[in-house]
Amino acid sequence: MQKIEGLEDQMECSDVMLALILFIDDEIHDEIQVEIFQTHFQQCPQCLSEMEHERQVLTRMKSLLADECCEQAPEDLNSRIVKQTALLASQMFSPTQIITEYRRTETTINGETHIEIETVQEIRRDFPLS
Amino acid sequence: MSSEIEVKTPAQLLATETVIERTARFERDAMQYTNQLYAAAMRYTKNPHNAQDLVQDTYAKAFTSFHQFEPGTNLKAWLYRILTTTFINTYRKDQRRPLISDGEVEDWQLASAASHTSDQGKSAEDEVLENLPDGDVKRALHEIPEEFRLAVFYADVEGYSYKEIADILGIPTGTVMSRLHRGRKLLRVLLADYAKDRGFGGSDGM
Repeated sequence: MQKIEGLEDQMECSDVMLALILFIDDEIHDEIQVEIFQTHFQQCPQCLSEMEHERQVLTRMKSLLADECCEQAPEDLNSRIVKQTALLASQMFSPTQIITEYRRTETTINGETHIEIETVQEIRRDFPLS
Repeated sequence: MSSEIEVKTPAQLLATETVIERTARFERDAMQYTNQLYAAAMRYTKNPHNAQDLVQDTYAKAFTSFHQFEPGTNLKAWLYRILTTTFINTYRKDQRRPLISDGEVEDWQLASAASHTSDQGKSAEDEVLENLPDGDVKRALHEIPEEFRLAVFYADVEGYSYKEIADILGIPTGTVMSRLHRGRKLLRVLLADYAKDRGFGGSDGM
């Protein structure tokens, strides 16, 4: 949120000039402040002409920049990225571990021995994958 | 048993996404921006070889942290943010570079803009911009300091707001504003210089 100091119901030319680029860039988010600018432009041909010039120069610069800053990625870059992604994905599968636990319980009651063997098998894998 | 149909939120879907699903989603959503990322990378590295490496590294980082990307938010801006951190971490690590002071809203810059330009100055500038040969703007853009160049690229080529650029570059909005304005101003000065060398727009009034 841009706050412009000393902006009440009207502006001096110097204040308009200082904040002109914010106005042109649409970076003044307070509607009342935008209206104050517009009122000033209606009353001040010099500031209006300055604003229109700046806006026109910026529009021209943007279109020149857009024309020259649009290099296409080389064909093999895309295939390299696809391969790299597949490789990274394969590394994300963590190894599966199978853990087997044996439990032997020996109980002797009145000379009679009872042996119980219990097997628990657990499959471990890291989750979530990251 | 409830008869309600369970609707999973995007976050729940993401939590149970398999690697195969994630790979497919990445290729579908993120890979469509390779050209834009490459053009941006050219602004960071200024040469095609390093730009390709930078883009490839960016996609590696993006894929391994793709589960952190919040679906529905701006994916291209998220990729640009990773491009920036990748560039800073790998390509700039051992490069000693002059730092631009961070009291960046410079008075000289604002003061020079705080008065009206003469009509003569305006028409000289129009003449310069109308007679620019191909390649001049890119040459000028690559001559200005990196900080300014990136702010100009994201604002004037990509059309991002100051706030969005602040997020991409990891700097405060006020810093974006001052870098952008100084970058644009430097560009115009350079373009006027080139033109003067060719005999156009003889005035310094830009």
